[in-house]
Formats: sequence, C-alpha cells, structure tokens
Amino acid sequence: MPDHWSFVAAAYGLTAAVLLIYWRRLATKEREVEASKRLNAERSREPSITGHPRSEPASRTPLQQNQRPGAPLP
Amino acid sequence: MVKTLGWLTAAALAAGLVMAFGVAPREVTQGNVQRIMYVHVPLILASYVAFVVLAVASLVYLVRRDLAADRVAHASGEVGVMFVGLGIATGSIWGKPTWGTWWTWDARLTSVAILFVMYLGYLLLRGTIDDPERAARYCAVLGIVAALDIPLVHFSVYWWRTLHQPPSLMKPGGFTGSSSILWPLLVNLLAFILLYVYFVARRARLLRAQAEAIA
Amino acid sequence: MSYARRALAVAWKDLAVERRSKETLNALVFFSLLLLFVFQFTLGGDRERLAAVLPGVLWLGFVLSALLALGRTFLVEREHDCWEGLLLAPGDKSAIYLGKLAGNLALMLVVEALVLGLFVVFFDIDLGRALPGLLVVVLLGTLGLAAVGTLFAAMTANVRARELLFPVLLLPVQIPVLLATVKATEALLLGEPLGAVGHWVKLLLAADVVYVVVSLLTFDVVLEA
Repeated sequence: MPDHWSFVAAAYGLTAAVLLIYWRRLATKEREVEASKRLNAERSREPSITGHPRSEPASRTPLQQNQRPGAPLP
Repeated sequence: MVKTLGWLTAAALAAGLVMAFGVAPREVTQGNVQRIMYVHVPLILASYVAFVVLAVASLVYLVRRDLAADRVAHASGEVGVMFVGLGIATGSIWGKPTWGTWWTWDARLTSVAILFVMYLGYLLLRGTIDDPERAARYCAVLGIVAALDIPLVHFSVYWWRTLHQPPSLMKPGGFTGSSSILWPLLVNLLAFILLYVYFVARRARLLRAQAEAIA
Repeated sequence: MSYARRALAVAWKDLAVERRSKETLNALVFFSLLLLFVFQFTLGGDRERLAAVLPGVLWLGFVLSALLALGRTFLVEREHDCWEGLLLAPGDKSAIYLGKLAGNLALMLVVEALVLGLFVVFFDIDLGRALPGLLVVVLLGTLGLAAVGTLFAAMTANVRARELLFPVLLLPVQIPVLLATVKATEALLLGEPLGAVGHWVKLLLAADVVYVVVSLLTFDVVLEA
C-alpha cells in the first residue's frame, strides 16, 4: 500500500496550524486586555477637579495659550 | 506557573512527534498514513476529557455559584470543540486514503459528530447572553444535560448502526495491541491532555482579565 | 396549595388560554397540512419509495411541529407581560415546569394525532396491528422531546435570536430520541411486535427519565431572576 505522505502532512499541518492560531489569538487578546487595563488605571490616576473619571476639557491647556502671539511654533 | 506548563506541553508535543515519526514502526497494511492516528486519537480522547471537565465544572458552578468554575467550563467547551473538530478533520483525512471516503456514517464517527454539534450549540448559547451570571447559569444547565446525553447518544447510534447491518470492517484502532504502537500513542495522549490543560488555564485567565476589564 | 395542584394550575391556565385563543393550535394544524404538501412534492408519488421513508418523514413532521410549538412555551407570558407573575408563583419552581410540560404534551399529542391521521389518509399507511405499539413509541418520544424542549424554551425565552437558538440547542440533544422513535416506528409499521423493538423502548424510557429528572432539578436555576 502506498504511503500517502501528503495526507499525513495535511493532517499534522492542519492540526498544527489551528492550534497555533488559537495560541496566537489567546496571546493577542491577553495583550489587548492588559493594554486596556493599563489605560484605565492611568485615566483613574489623573487628577480631576470635578470628580469625573476623566479630566475636564476646561482643565486641559491648549498649546497656543502658553505662547506669545506671533512667536514661532516650537 | 502557566508558563512552565506551556514549556512542558511544548516538550511533550515535541516528544510525541518524535515518537510518532521516529519510534513508531511503519504499519504493515496501511503504510505510513497510519501515523495520523498519533494525532487523531489523542485529539478525540482529550476532547472527551474536556467535556467531562465541563460537566463537572458546570455542576460545581450550580452548587457553589463561583464564576471561576464557570470560566473553566467555558474554556473547556471552547478547547473541546476545537479538539473534536480537529479530530474529525484528521480522521477524515485518514479515512480518504484508507477507506476511500472522507466520511461514513459509522457508529463512532456519528456519535463524535453529534458531540461536536451539541457543544457547538453550547458555545452559541454563551455567545448570545450578555449577562455573565445568567450565561453561567444557562450554560451550566446545558452542560449537564449534554453530558447526560452522551451515553444515550452512544447507545442509540451504536444500535442504529449495528443492529441492521454488520459493523464497518475497517475501524481506526482495529489493529492496536502491539506495544510499538501503544507507547507513541500514550506519549501523544499525555501531550494533548497537557495541551488541553494549558489552553484551559490560559483561556480561563484571559476570561477573568476580560471580566475585570469590563467591571 | 399542594405541589401537584400548583402544577395543574399552570397547565390548566395554558390550556384555557389555548382553548380560547387557539393561537398556536390553529397555526400548527395549518402547518402540518402544509408539511403534507412539502413531503409529497419533495418525495414524489412513488409508493414504494414513500413507504421506505415514511417513518422518518412522519417523525420529521412531528419534530418540525414540536419545534414550533415548544419554542412558544414561554412566549405567552412574555407577550402578555405575565413573566413576573409566573416567577412570583409561590413554592418550588419545578411545579411550573411540570405544568408547562403537561400543557405542551397535550398540545403536541393533539397535533401529532392529526398529523398521523393525515398520513394515514394521504400516504395510505396501514396502521392495523401496529397502532398500540405505535402509541407507546409516540407517547415516549413526545415526552422526551417535550421534556427537554420545555426546559430549553425557558432558557431561550430571554435570549437574543431565540427562534434560531432553540432548534439549534434542542436538535442535537434529541438525536437519541429521534433515532429510537424512527427505528421503532419503522419496525412496527413493518408488522413487527413491540417486543422486537424492546431495546428502543428501553432507551426512550431511560431518556425520558433522565430528561424529566434533570429538568426538574435545574428548572429553579433557569428561572432565577
């Protein structure tokens, strides 16, 4: 009986591919969740006058405010 | 800890590959295509482990109401469905050159296919419920019903296939018994069970992190 | 109120609603008539081929109408905003399950009797001696379908895409019941006695016991708010 190596390769290749994809997906998702957690933590650490979790728009200082009129942009 | 488990799993899988291609002999009647067994059988058996763990975790959730148990059930369902799917696919690839067909409605094939669709439904149910607590409750009930259904499926399919016509002649595993085949199979089985545990550990950890990120 | 009386109250309420509105029953009767056309057109007029597939087709008719009927189990409560009322019923919630199961069983048996009658007339089945055995098989099979169907209907009542999810969950779980009933019906219609299909009847009995007991034990969990 012939060996059918191509079928063996297909079976092992398919299994390896699916398992690798699943493993990679787990890793990416983990990194995503980590990143969003860090972002949330940073946001909550920012000082807030009004008690809002995010900084108030009024408390942000636009670039132009600190510059004398006519001065070149940094 | 999960990381150590990961390296252990990788080592076991590598050992399994060496056993499957280096140690195991070329099968006399089927030729080298029989080496598919060393990935096919462990996949199916590991998926059975997954479904048993799913049922136990479901029961534990209903008794203790601990979402950690539900996360184990969820992860087991996902990995189990993946393993069964791969097991069916590899079996199909093995069947084509040996039986001459990708699929036959043989008793064992049919009951595994039913298992696949049953637990696919389980994952579908999970996907449609947003409230984690309710998803856990409903899925625990479904997980227990499905587990109790497995013996019924097994018997009904067996009788359906065997009482009115002779059992199919060529079954995978019909030639087991020699230790030269048994050891590679056992090593691969261990490797895939380790892989299952590793995947479930990581998936459950991810599920907890996701739940915490939302909360 | 005793447990049995509470279960009866739920069943009686459902049957009374159904008797007055005939919402589900009318649609189901019409549906089973339509199924007859579908089967006839897809299978063709060849008598012999028809006789060979008849048990399967008969159960296909039962299952399709069961999917429609069972899926609606808890929709009466949802459509008329009585869900909370049902939940507030005192005592063990499994009484509600038993009541709903009894109501569903009655509804399905009526529809199945009708489908069977239509099959006898239009496909020329000779029931003859097979009838008592067939009754046993139909009763046991329907109980299995309804037992899991009622439980799953409660689960999918509050879920997105419930019309889709209900059959997708129910059908794989019910495969043992389907195999058993179709095979037993086939043998019975060929004139074999009920004893010849004893193993299928035992399987159906085991399935019914498992399904009803599990549903009774877990129904409380499903209805928790």
